[in-house]
Amino acid sequence: MKSKWNNNLKGYVRIEIIGQESSSFINTCIQSGIQIWDIKPIDGDRVHVSISVPDVQRAKAILKQNKLKIRIKEKKGTPFLIKKMWKRNGFILGIVSFIFILFLLSNMIWNINVIGANPKTEYELRKAALEIGVKKGKFIFLLPNVREIQRQLTEKMGNVTWIGVTQHGTSYRFEVVEKEIPKEKQITGPRHLVATKQAVIHSLFVEKGQPVVTVNDYVQKGTLLVSGYIGKEKKPELVSAKGEIFGEVWYETKVEIPLNTSFQTYTGKFENRHYVSLFGLDIPIYGFSDGEFQDKTETLNESPLYLAKWKMPVSYIKKEIRETDGVKRSYTKAEAIEVGKEMAKKELLKKLPEDAKIKGEKVWQQKVSNGKVKLTMLYQVIENIASEQPIPIQQGE
Amino acid sequence: MGKLRQQVSKWMMQNLELPADVVMDLPRITMIGQLHIYIENHRGVKAFSNEQLKLKLKQGTLVISGREFVIKTILPEEILLEGTISSVDFEND
Repeated sequence: MKSKWNNNLKGYVRIEIIGQESSSFINTCIQSGIQIWDIKPIDGDRVHVSISVPDVQRAKAILKQNKLKIRIKEKKGTPFLIKKMWKRNGFILGIVSFIFILFLLSNMIWNINVIGANPKTEYELRKAALEIGVKKGKFIFLLPNVREIQRQLTEKMGNVTWIGVTQHGTSYRFEVVEKEIPKEKQITGPRHLVATKQAVIHSLFVEKGQPVVTVNDYVQKGTLLVSGYIGKEKKPELVSAKGEIFGEVWYETKVEIPLNTSFQTYTGKFENRHYVSLFGLDIPIYGFSDGEFQDKTETLNESPLYLAKWKMPVSYIKKEIRETDGVKRSYTKAEAIEVGKEMAKKELLKKLPEDAKIKGEKVWQQKVSNGKVKLTMLYQVIENIASEQPIPIQQGE
Repeated sequence: MGKLRQQVSKWMMQNLELPADVVMDLPRITMIGQLHIYIENHRGVKAFSNEQLKLKLKQGTLVISGREFVIKTILPEEILLEGTISSVDFEND
């Protein structure tokens, strides 16, 4: 019975033997080792027999000796099936190419939507996306993943706050939140200038209005600096006060510097490993070494393949292994203070407006406890302290 | 000589509990209902038709009759016949 499969695989023919002495043919076949099976008598002098293809020639010789006629009725088995299929190769080619094309098309970008951007930003975004490779007709599996696209786009686009990239099947969707740059308000109405914070006046530059304070005056928050009333006391005129009042302001900044820190850095060495995941089983295809790093971090990038809307159980996985290095940094107390000063200054500059200047700095307090240096710094900063305060116009005078 | 050998074989079969088909070269016939018949130790086909199969044995002939016979497999010493079997006869000639 096992040979049935074998016969099917190798191919066999069904022949008709015409003649009287068919039983002697059967006997000769058996004796000379020719396999025949499914012997079926049709009538008195006709018998149907199955015989494997390589044995046909030998069988013909035996039949001649026995004076029997042969006629091939049917060809069966894989070789003939393949021949038959090959005759209809267009059909098979069609099926294969259909699946292939469907597969390719469902892994292509068909649509890119941009939401929440004005036309200018949208144009820029599309251009930036094109540079990364996100455009219609590109294969999704050749692109970096969504997270990566989002990161790159956010980096490229300066004038947006946030870009959200989502992928729905064959379409990409970019959600954009634009930076709102507030326009300077042009207040032309009557106004005073008042102090925004406690300060000592350093210099005054008044374009319009009546200065109320002088240099070296100490002002509180909200103190009137430049009055919008000008002219005679009895008949004051209202103007829109304008000017810059620079004041010395003291800032206090606290920083903590640990004396010993350990942190991890990448050494720059890395290994990439590529896998094809089949039904959750990861088969490595390229890159087999782990890099033999002592310390490492691994990141996985998975890009699944789609057929139409269905996720295939096949996906491509790229694994990045990067060597990390544990670095220990330790400061002496003096070094820590230096670094602390730098840090405090940087932090302060972040908070200050652009036109502010640091005039002087002072270490107010320094303390070492629990392996940390605690610094309290005082900074003398010269900055514009003026802010506008509209003067309510009293009606019915 | 043949007679003696046959007697020895018979004795061995009876006293040493050896299977008869091995010792004496007899056919072993297995039937599954009327559908299949499986014969080992035959000596070739004498005649074959739709309704009858005659098999040569070492001694005599085995005649199987029935309907719609098809030889499914045939090997030098084995044969598997399919169809509707109605009788199995031994003919000693």
